[in-house]
Amino acid sequence: MNMSDLHIKFVPLVITVVVLTSFLLVGLLYKVRESSEYGLGGRSTGRIGSGAAIASNWMSAASFLGMAGFFYLNGYLGLACVIGWTGGYVLLLTLLAGQIRRFGKYTAPDFVGERYDSPMARLISALISIAISVIYCAAQFKGIGILFGWLFGLPYDAAVTLGAVAVISYVVFAGSQGVMKNQKLQYTILIISFVVPLMLLAKKLGYFWILPQFGYGAALAQVSPEFRASFTLPFAGSSLFQWSALCFTLMVGTAGLPHVLSRFYIVPNIRDARWSVVWGLYFIALIYWSAPAYAVFARLLEARSGVAPDPATARGMADMIVLTAATQGGLPLWLVGVLAAGGLSAAFATVSGLLMTGAASCSHDIYAGLLHPAASEYRKMRVAKGCTLLLALVVYLIAVNPPGLIVEITAVAFALAGNTIFPAFLLGIWWGRANRQGIITGMLLGVLVTFAAPLLGGRIPWVATLFPLTSSAFCGAPLVILVTIAVSLMTPAPPERIRRFLATEVHGHLD
Amino acid sequence: MSEKPWSEVNFLRPKKGYMGGEVLITLVILIGWGGATFGFQLLQKFLETTPAGENIFTRFTFFNLPFNVWFTGQFLPLWFVLLCIVFNLYIDRLTERHSRVRYPYEHE
Repeated sequence: MNMSDLHIKFVPLVITVVVLTSFLLVGLLYKVRESSEYGLGGRSTGRIGSGAAIASNWMSAASFLGMAGFFYLNGYLGLACVIGWTGGYVLLLTLLAGQIRRFGKYTAPDFVGERYDSPMARLISALISIAISVIYCAAQFKGIGILFGWLFGLPYDAAVTLGAVAVISYVVFAGSQGVMKNQKLQYTILIISFVVPLMLLAKKLGYFWILPQFGYGAALAQVSPEFRASFTLPFAGSSLFQWSALCFTLMVGTAGLPHVLSRFYIVPNIRDARWSVVWGLYFIALIYWSAPAYAVFARLLEARSGVAPDPATARGMADMIVLTAATQGGLPLWLVGVLAAGGLSAAFATVSGLLMTGAASCSHDIYAGLLHPAASEYRKMRVAKGCTLLLALVVYLIAVNPPGLIVEITAVAFALAGNTIFPAFLLGIWWGRANRQGIITGMLLGVLVTFAAPLLGGRIPWVATLFPLTSSAFCGAPLVILVTIAVSLMTPAPPERIRRFLATEVHGHLD
Repeated sequence: MSEKPWSEVNFLRPKKGYMGGEVLITLVILIGWGGATFGFQLLQKFLETTPAGENIFTRFTFFNLPFNVWFTGQFLPLWFVLLCIVFNLYIDRLTERHSRVRYPYEHE
């Protein structure tokens, strides 16, 4: 950010406050209406509505800011994010969605605990889920810090502190008032705030603006041939292994993220649940077709102005490239404000979902499940509230000195999910013989593999090569699956009750 | 319920009937998913003429983009949506065929 930007921007700030407040108000109205109607997300929601809910549940600062930033920096490697974060839904739909629904357990720890008949496996998966939430949230906090820095004209560390206070107040208020999320409204705001500024940007720069997703290609033709080559050639910036490893990690991570898996229980009927995935994926793709356009326009503006930043500077500003492109492209300030408001609402919604899930896991799976089985509801609630603040503090401490780009931090959370939760669900659903010894070994190995590069990579170079921190699940998830199978075969089969349930109810419901 | 005969669930040796159909379509879709995603990158590797990966797909443009960028960045997400539609249509029919009750989907 250059110094001239260090002033408070009133109009964008007002827009942001209005958008975030309107979510709270609509949520409160929705709550009043909902309590008089029957149940959660009744049939009137429909498949398209549920698809929009899947998409808005998914959209975060990583989609809104991080993806364009990563593409701006890495060109073709950035497409591994686009593919990883959409292709993961194919895995989820074909391998898990219908079956976990028939299994009937709502959270990752509940599923793992029940399927493997083991409080220990449940505890490990709860701790892993909490770790995933914290890492994912840290990336969101970085996004919030960047947007607050722009809105208030503050340096990053002050902005992330202010942002942390704001988002925690938002979460606590929404939680204490029982605000329902209106995810259809949220998706509508997100898509408009992302695509409309992009259309105007394309128009201002003189490209096909009705579908800027197709228009940005022409901009690519106008940067220098050397730069274009380094940006679009498949192995200019990364190897085939690096590309595939990142892509695959994000895919299995998508299919193993606890807050994504639990979405399938909200839709009342399973056929609608399956079709809502198609709509959800389509709505996600709409945003992902657009994100690279911001990056390309930012590169074009740099080329036109004749100052190309050196790699270190480019890396430092990559995560705010969406805002930079919009500002330097000459969009009116209020429209940049709309963009910032969209990014903040995505980040706020993701943080509130993740912190609440993490805190519920602390209270339900760890405190009540293991330490104090007889705890009262009141006591559990207090523990959950305390945990929300504790987790937020941990997230804040990570985010103050962000260890990487938004996409990189997010990718570590996906790698952890792909190395642990994904194998536990995949084998739990599709192989009756998988037992608790196998999955406990597998999940612990998965944690080790995820953090192998920083832990062991210095001493054992091939570890860092095979299990890069952001992409460890490419070799990691298959390894965990093989080890889980081997350990399961060496130890006794799980109880007959569970294997029978799997055979007759999860896979034999229509026999 | 407890009288129902059962055999161990194994993706590689599915039971005949509903589960067999489910595994079949899942394999078909996953081949389409992995083949297009990783197969295309592998193909680019085989066809590369420079270390940076210049190949036949990077040389011609499609929708204003080098073909490889268009295929990966724009076509693949659409391809995933299509695969999901095919999967759902097949499972819908499979469920109907295997349902002996009047309101099939409530029991899926």
